Amino acid sequence: MSLCEAEKTFILHGVAENFRVDGRDREGYRPIELETDIVQHAFGSARLRLASTDILASVKIEIDTPLPEKPFEGKIEFFVDCSANATPDFEGRGGEQLAIELANILTSAYSAPQTLDLRELCILKGEKCWKLYVDILVLECGGNLYDAISLAVKAALFNTQVPKINNMTIDGENVDIDVSENLLDCRRLNVKHAPILVTVCKIGEHCIVDPSLEEEQCMMSSVVVAVSNNHFSTITSMGSLHEETLFECLNLGHKVAVRLNQTLIETLEKMPQNQDVGFLK
Amino acid sequence: MSAKQQLINKIGLRLDGRRANELRRIRCKMGVFSQPDGSAYIEQGLTKVLAAVYGPHQTRNKQKAQHDACIINTQFSMAVFSTTDRKKRPRGDRKSIELSVLLQQALSAVIETDLYPFSQIDVYVEVLHADGGIYAACVNAATLAIIDAGIPIKEYICACTASLANDDVPMLDISHQEEILGGPTLTITALPMSEKIVLMEMSQRFHLDHLPKVLDKALEGCKDIKEILDEAVKDHVSKIGSATGWANASS
Amino acid sequence: MFTTKSFIKKNKVGHFLKHVREHYLRTDISCGVPECKKCHSENTSSLTKPSNSNNCSIFNYDHYLILDTNIILDQIDVLEEPIISNVIIFNTVYKEVKHRSLPIYKRLNTIIENPSRCFFLFINDHHKDTFVPETAGELINDYNDKCIRQAIKWYIEHLPNKKFILLTDDTKNRQLAIADNIPAYTVRDYVQNLDKKSLIEDKLSRNDLHSASEEKELFPPHLNKIELLKGIKEGSLHQGVFRASTVNFLEGFVNVDDIKEPVLVQGRAGLNRAVDGDIVAVEVFSKEQWVSPSEIILEDEDVDEQEVEEKEEILKNSTVLESEIKPTGKIVGIICRKWKQYCGILKDTSDLGLYQIFVPANKTIPKVRIQTRQVEFLKTQKLVVTIDSWPRYSRYPHGHYVRALGLIGSQQTENEVVLLEHDVPYSQFSKEVLRCLPKLPWLITRSDEEVRVDLREFDICSVDPPGCTDIDDALHCRPIDNTDTLEVGVHIADVSHFIRPGTALDLEAASRATTVYLVGKRIDMVPELLSSNLCSLKEREERFAFSCIWTMDRQANILTTKFCKSIIKSKQAMTYEEAQLIIDDKNKTDAIAQSLRHLNSLAKILKKRRLDQGALVLASTEVNIMMDSETMEPLDVKVKKHFETNSMVEEFMLLANMSVAKKILDEFPDCAMLRRHPEPPASNFDPLVKAGRHLGFDINIESNKTLAESLDKADKSSHPYLNEMFRMLTSRCMLQAVYFTSGTLQKADYYHYGLAVPLYTHFTSPIRRYADIIVHRLLAVACGADRTYPDLLNKEKSTILCQNLNYRNRMAQYAGRASVAFNTHFFFKGKLNDEEGYVLYVRKNALQILIPKYGLECTLFLAKKGETTMFQYDEERQTQSADGVTFHAFDPVTVRLQLDSSNIQHEKFILQLVKPIIRGFSVPALNDLNDGDRTESNEKRKSDEESGKNNIKKNRK
Repeated sequence: MSLCEAEKTFILHGVAENFRVDGRDREGYRPIELETDIVQHAFGSARLRLASTDILASVKIEIDTPLPEKPFEGKIEFFVDCSANATPDFEGRGGEQLAIELANILTSAYSAPQTLDLRELCILKGEKCWKLYVDILVLECGGNLYDAISLAVKAALFNTQVPKINNMTIDGENVDIDVSENLLDCRRLNVKHAPILVTVCKIGEHCIVDPSLEEEQCMMSSVVVAVSNNHFSTITSMGSLHEETLFECLNLGHKVAVRLNQTLIETLEKMPQNQDVGFLK
Repeated sequence: MSAKQQLINKIGLRLDGRRANELRRIRCKMGVFSQPDGSAYIEQGLTKVLAAVYGPHQTRNKQKAQHDACIINTQFSMAVFSTTDRKKRPRGDRKSIELSVLLQQALSAVIETDLYPFSQIDVYVEVLHADGGIYAACVNAATLAIIDAGIPIKEYICACTASLANDDVPMLDISHQEEILGGPTLTITALPMSEKIVLMEMSQRFHLDHLPKVLDKALEGCKDIKEILDEAVKDHVSKIGSATGWANASS
Repeated sequence: MFTTKSFIKKNKVGHFLKHVREHYLRTDISCGVPECKKCHSENTSSLTKPSNSNNCSIFNYDHYLILDTNIILDQIDVLEEPIISNVIIFNTVYKEVKHRSLPIYKRLNTIIENPSRCFFLFINDHHKDTFVPETAGELINDYNDKCIRQAIKWYIEHLPNKKFILLTDDTKNRQLAIADNIPAYTVRDYVQNLDKKSLIEDKLSRNDLHSASEEKELFPPHLNKIELLKGIKEGSLHQGVFRASTVNFLEGFVNVDDIKEPVLVQGRAGLNRAVDGDIVAVEVFSKEQWVSPSEIILEDEDVDEQEVEEKEEILKNSTVLESEIKPTGKIVGIICRKWKQYCGILKDTSDLGLYQIFVPANKTIPKVRIQTRQVEFLKTQKLVVTIDSWPRYSRYPHGHYVRALGLIGSQQTENEVVLLEHDVPYSQFSKEVLRCLPKLPWLITRSDEEVRVDLREFDICSVDPPGCTDIDDALHCRPIDNTDTLEVGVHIADVSHFIRPGTALDLEAASRATTVYLVGKRIDMVPELLSSNLCSLKEREERFAFSCIWTMDRQANILTTKFCKSIIKSKQAMTYEEAQLIIDDKNKTDAIAQSLRHLNSLAKILKKRRLDQGALVLASTEVNIMMDSETMEPLDVKVKKHFETNSMVEEFMLLANMSVAKKILDEFPDCAMLRRHPEPPASNFDPLVKAGRHLGFDINIESNKTLAESLDKADKSSHPYLNEMFRMLTSRCMLQAVYFTSGTLQKADYYHYGLAVPLYTHFTSPIRRYADIIVHRLLAVACGADRTYPDLLNKEKSTILCQNLNYRNRMAQYAGRASVAFNTHFFFKGKLNDEEGYVLYVRKNALQILIPKYGLECTLFLAKKGETTMFQYDEERQTQSADGVTFHAFDPVTVRLQLDSSNIQHEKFILQLVKPIIRGFSVPALNDLNDGDRTESNEKRKSDEESGKNNIKKNRK
């Protein structure tokens, strides 16, 4: 999609007036729909729809060996796939670069300490741990992928059920693990401090959050901040920014992130079980 | 004599409680996404597929353009979490490429391609949950998405799987569990109204004695699916229509 | 209508996966009660016939029974009684039964499938109103009980006019049910109040016979399942199949996969209540505690506790042989019981109390304590009994009576016992099966002639043992004009023409797998019309055949091979003896005689070539028992005679089988039915090599060829029977040959060790072996005479079929032997003979003697019970000596043979040494006795006979 100069100017003026094309102010988010437990055979999953951005995140769990330098910690791995459903540009390996970029920013956001406590995933020191595979599928692209993905991932992790260990037998090198077959007998992860990504865009002289696809075309530079428990865990900036503007962006990002996080947690806790609606809505 | 699990019990129920000639629950929705020209979502039992259609539009690769017809470009992709065991990558493997080609062939049979010379139609399917009969679900989802996109087709194109239970009874719409436990699975893609078979694929060899009855059963399944799809299309169109106020226009 | 079930399962790689399965809930599942108007009744259910009603004095109304899982698992024998009817089985229970015990599941299925029993399967878990979702923290058993209660509640609401009663022995479930207003009782309460209870009560399984507390605990406790699995995983315990010793009730072996040799277990503590066949967990001792298997023979004869302990002591002292030390261990738990039904009799006591001791015919099975109210009757009968439990305080396992087979000692009963013990299906052919037979008169039609090669003019003849009515092979041979080549044909009865795949006849034959030959009785695989008439290649009758025709040069090299379906007309059906006479009679020059001579000379070349390749010539004694046709009593026992013609026919059958094997493997590399004979492990040959070494022969077991060569050399002119005995020993070292499906094994494993050929199958006896029918079908497809059908090409199906064939064949073989043994005993009843024999093995307290004349193998005990032996046993050299006489293996002896009938179930031969003479041990020969002695012995004989009769008479009372 490409915009003509007039359209861009219109957007630019809207941002300057704090009255964006779709009627939001600069700190406003578009409506978000969230549903968890949507992939039944995953241990946790969530689908998040931010206007027309559509993300499906699923968490699968496997047994792995902890890293030697972190014997007490489990592992987490992110994989993003940009489906061609989102845009024909993603066909074949077209979406790969974007996907890797997205996965990397999530990895670095979660690798900061005190975001997600990976010690929860340790089964046996230095020998066995759980590894979480967080798979993200981008089904539709309506702008602001980073924020949407981070929210979806957090929701999916919130939803994740980690099987309870029933029995563990250690025989020399071999460790054999048995878990409870019953899914009602699982525990949840503590994801309170899982990071939330907020993209702050600079359009004209002002910063906005949650850019739409059109607005993304007008932006001059942007900063993606990962906020976890009132701390920044990662900051990635694209395009050049003046130091002052950067701090302005960070402040805005932080403010919005805290707000988002709170709303998300509240929503998740109120989330009804077993909706069985999914894409049929 | 054998300890092998019977796929149909004494009362004639399958492992999941269906009878031999029953389809799994099918639920579908058209127009799931706003950006593609057409999109659809279908659930056949637990198998879940999303399809999106872009086009007809100009061909991206000029060399491929045909002067008398549009080209149909398909891509089959499975989410890495769609299977019980996590997949390494969503597409590009041999099976995905094969299924893409099969899908393309099936759709070529129904889309009125000669209406759009020098153009291209993209059909993308994304499997979210694979629980048997993936290809069939993909074809059915693609059909709905193409209808949603308003592309003219000759008639519905539906696909369905069938197999043999206890080496004797033909059964319809095979779940993953039945695929593993049972014998060979037959997948057919058919035009249910004209009773033409467009594509037929078997997972293993079938004995010739069994083939006709299984094929019949699968064709019946395609017809049943067509009814369900038809219902969904009518429902969708009437919703869209009433939302845009066509009822008023006619009065 | 729809829900899903999810659970976590570990896959092969060790990943945990979450599975989701669909689960449809229906509204169209019938309750099965015929009067019900609400359900559209499916015709499949036949819950009540008016004649069937349950009468139990607890209730004054007719009712339906509902059972919980444990009732079915424990009381299947009671359920098999026709008194119990109108039973509703819930699918929850049904599935759980399958999960817990496959044999019981099969028996339950038989009951459900029998419409007169009125058992109905209600699929409660797919019914909309009876499905119950699982709740958190619930045990699977509690969940199942909840499902059962929910379904009964539904039934009660659904049909307020009917009564439903839950039988459960689980106290908690019963209380919960009663709280829900569901009438619930224990089986015992129910059965004891049944109107026709008396017999059925015996069949109640008893798990609660005594309160254990006050009795002495005889056995160490078993570890529980979790401990066992843990132990096995950690490697401190080993899992294996327990095999009880046939001669010593305090000894047995556990075959463990990861230990090369079987693990020896001894004494009651070591065996710890394992029964032959059970899958057990065994703990292997450290090497210092390993012992050797005892060489003594111990029988469980006395109930006296003291004596058992004494015997354990004897056992302990007899197991210190250094060189023979085997891995030793003790059984610490039972992983899976393989208890079945056992045949046997009640122990003969004057006590007519409620509790009786049952003595199984199979010596590897311990005696069983049962409870019965019909002692008087059961004492005269052969019984079938099953084991229910074996508590720690009880010397014998507890069981219950299942059914009676017939009078002890009657031939009919014994035959039935043999058949039953060996799991031989022997019922009459059903109507459906007989309906598949062709109608008589059977005529060859024009269309038959069109598709078959007409060989009616050929000089075909058959050679078989005397009295054979199921002739499945015939031969011919003729020179081809103008060449120096011969045409040889083997014609096999075309059974597959009559038995079409998938018919009731085919299924029955497949299940029977083989014809079983008992003495004086044949259990046919196919109905007589086929076996003795239409398929049998009778003399001067036109018959369908499957022909294998070779052209050969005079050196018996095959030039061409052809297979075709044909019509033949045998010119003559001969016995081996007759054929031999014709060959030897130089005056006979007719076509048949010439044909036979050609065949004979070719066969000799073939045989030589085969032996050169390393084929083994093995010996086993086969005996013929002459039966009196009227009284069905054996008249004489003779070892079968062998003629040159025996081996002539055999050679051509082998050749045909090999040719066919090659052909079908070429055509069906994945699903051809072949026969292989695996090479035995070297350890199997130990007794043979040892025996050879003592006599100065070096038996080389490197390959079948070296073995065959060394067997040829093992001969002494002074000892005519020696070579025969070596071959007999060798055949006991062999493994069983088995059928298999090509494509399930590596090519190298197709080898037939005994015949020394790379490929072999069975083609030549389709009348009496099912494998041959399959091979015929494959060959017919290969040569375009027939078409395939699905199961023929299905590798899994053929593998399952092969397993059945192998099992049935083995059983048929055992059954045949058992029948011969029984009749030999019958023949010797009351006789007293001196017979020539040879020492086969030397044991610590006995000699194993072979009497070639009757093919008998018996034990000569060297000391009477309670006495010390006068013999010196040399373990190293395997000899026994006394009074200057030393017994080696293979030494000739003369023994006096007498049948000891004191134990009706196990009649055994008592041997006394006649020659060589050992003072104080041997007895004088019968011939040397003076007349007075002879009459005495005859009188003794008479009195023996009388006492035998008395015995029987007593039993008949």
